[in-house]
Amino acid sequence: MQSVLSVHGVSKTYPGVIALRDVSFSLAPGEIRALCGENGAGKSTFVKILMGIIQPDSGSIAINGQIQFVREPQQAQALGLGLVAQELSLAPHLSILDNIWLGSTEVPFLHRRASFRMRAQQALATLGLADWHLDRPVNSLSIGQRQLIEIARLLAREARVLILDEPTATLSDADIERILGILKGLRAQGRSIIYITHRLGEVFELCDSVTVLRNGQHVATQPVSEVTREHLVEQMLGRSFKDMYPQAATRADQGIRMAVDGLHVPGVLQDFSLIAPRGRIVCIAGQIGSGANMVTRALAGLVPSATGSVTIDGRPMRLGSVPRCVARNVLFVSDDRAAEGLFPQMTVLDNLVATRLDASSQMGVLSWPALRRLGVSLAERVGVDRHRLQSQSTTLSGGNQQKLLFGRALASKEAGVLLMNEPTRGIDVGARAEIYRIMRELCDRGAALIMTSSDLEEVVGIADIVITLYRGRVVARYEGDGIAMSSILADITHPTQAIA
Amino acid sequence: MTERLPNGADSAVAAADLRWMRFDRARVFSWAQTIGIIVLLAVIFATPGFLAKPSILSFLTTVSFIGCVAIGMTLITISGNIMSFALGATVGVTAMVFILASNWLGFDFGLVFGLLFGSLLTGLQGLMIGWVRANPIIVSIAALALIYGLTQAFAEKGTIYADPGIFPASVKGKVGGVPIEFIMFVLSALIAQFILSFTRFGRNLFMVGSSFRAAEAVGVNTWRTITGAYLWAGFFTSLAGIMLAVRYDAANMDYGVAYDYDAIAAVLVGGTAIGGGHGSAVRTFAGAMVIAAVQVMLLLRGLRQEWQYLAAGLIVLAVIILQARGNGR
Repeated sequence: MQSVLSVHGVSKTYPGVIALRDVSFSLAPGEIRALCGENGAGKSTFVKILMGIIQPDSGSIAINGQIQFVREPQQAQALGLGLVAQELSLAPHLSILDNIWLGSTEVPFLHRRASFRMRAQQALATLGLADWHLDRPVNSLSIGQRQLIEIARLLAREARVLILDEPTATLSDADIERILGILKGLRAQGRSIIYITHRLGEVFELCDSVTVLRNGQHVATQPVSEVTREHLVEQMLGRSFKDMYPQAATRADQGIRMAVDGLHVPGVLQDFSLIAPRGRIVCIAGQIGSGANMVTRALAGLVPSATGSVTIDGRPMRLGSVPRCVARNVLFVSDDRAAEGLFPQMTVLDNLVATRLDASSQMGVLSWPALRRLGVSLAERVGVDRHRLQSQSTTLSGGNQQKLLFGRALASKEAGVLLMNEPTRGIDVGARAEIYRIMRELCDRGAALIMTSSDLEEVVGIADIVITLYRGRVVARYEGDGIAMSSILADITHPTQAIA
Repeated sequence: MTERLPNGADSAVAAADLRWMRFDRARVFSWAQTIGIIVLLAVIFATPGFLAKPSILSFLTTVSFIGCVAIGMTLITISGNIMSFALGATVGVTAMVFILASNWLGFDFGLVFGLLFGSLLTGLQGLMIGWVRANPIIVSIAALALIYGLTQAFAEKGTIYADPGIFPASVKGKVGGVPIEFIMFVLSALIAQFILSFTRFGRNLFMVGSSFRAAEAVGVNTWRTITGAYLWAGFFTSLAGIMLAVRYDAANMDYGVAYDYDAIAAVLVGGTAIGGGHGSAVRTFAGAMVIAAVQVMLLLRGLRQEWQYLAAGLIVLAVIILQARGNGR
């Protein structure tokens, strides 16, 4: 059977990184192909090349056997390729109909023609949504329903190859089930799907075959039936998955660093309690919407409406003000590096020393040599090249940017509390191991670490204590050998018993 | 160390290639900028009469008024609040308040009172922006309207005159042949640069301007920092108003008209990022010199005021395009 999409020897280089190296790929009609790989493996570069968003340095793309040079997304659309990006691209105040045709090259200046309505209706019907009214505004739909509109958009444009980039990352289980069912239906109609996901369960449930990328290179393409879960993880990581995480805490319990009692954030979190011992990593596990990331934000002082009693080393700390928390050495590393972590226009050095200006100044006047010394020592400890201290921070790779944020936490003299949301999101394998090492170093210095993560393998690998959350309530608490992926997964998806 | 490349030989080749690619565009645009400045300077210096002593002296005086406002504007721009439309009006109203206070209790009192008044007036806007989180542009336009409205209501005659002999001769002359206004301008630029480079407040200002949320997350007191930026902006702006009042022994609300625009032009020509988080007072100094020199040149070549606005507009446009392209969009 002729392949609907065939990519041959595609390479792409960015300043400082080789994003893709000689990748070949071929997709049959009616095939669902999983595209797996760690963050930074080159998946999004690959998709962007397919969609004509960026141009490859070399290599060719053939669609239905014809070599094509896809120069812009409109052209990819005309060739029958469609992408549902990770972030939804819907205009919330417009109707379903408008959103389905938004950005389509076919639409003339005025598009309220009967044929467009009909084709939109057909697209919805294909997804089993014939009863949805086309004039309904998109903001009246749930996130999962909006995801379906994105897929309907591709169908209305008669896309033969659908590329879905982590379509289920933000969805509830019921919505995921529905989407997977719909995708199977599309396969039966002979459409091909490239399915990018981190959730290995979905690979095995939905996909026919799986392609693994690692560091921009093609590692393997194999039918799903011929590969095991462990094998797949090893292909993605390039090594056995046990090497990834450092040794668990070995030092004896040194007492309580932070105690939280009755933490409450209206509408998000109820009666949350936690004890974070010195030298231990506490991991709060929960799906999106469980309130897990709100725990760390509230403890960092970023949530004005948070209430509850918090003590650090036995002394109470008031919530709701970041400077007050920082003064007590409670530091926060955000999951949104771009918006809430990095100072993009500033240098690597300025980013590293951001929290320690007080220690390098007298009467408000900074000592540049002291800042420089601090910066150099921090850069060495987190493993950032000291020759890049004067570079603009955005020129660093994602992993190195994250190390900068951890460097800030290392800067303080006394160990405190480090709060982290998704500390390894968007980071390649190598930097990931480095970050785990830094986390353990902080533990050894007596800091208490509290993190959230939606990556369960990470939770099991790094945590000393795990607290599971479901819809703003604590489900269970595990420690040491009691931490198991199966029970955590069960807790955060379908809790059987909720302890208040 | 930072980015992993596959193996030794290839990575050396790749790195060499990349270095060439990375510098290429930035280099082209920085050359364009340099050539543009050289051509501009050549045209300016070739203008008949520009290098004559009276012309230079008048240039150094006029550039100082706008220059001080531009120094203040630099702090606002770096703090991430784009610009203020109220600084021109602040120049006018401070000049008036300064003369009233001087007539009442003498020059020294007037000076302190004027500086305090201008700083607090602008600082209050900073408080609205930093603490209430109001939109900076709207706040500055509202302040502009309020300032004009109040001065119209209270100063019906329009122009206020200083009592004869109230200003000491020493503040009206030259020091070593250089107009005292220009010396104050240079000092302002140095003080502002010191604040930006060597104080915690200055560093906080860059952080707030670079990323407000990140600054908040690392524990910078954001509202104090923004209020501080406006306080200092008001300080430098009121200095311009006071210098104008001293020079002309009078004050009215026409003094600061269009200063906001020339000031932001100087800030941008000086390379301060309009989005905040990056910039320098010393470079704003250079930007103000360029803008003022172009205006003097046009005047000497016999072109009307309207052409001066057009020229300033074109220069700003060119700088914005060069900056945007040079930064890789």
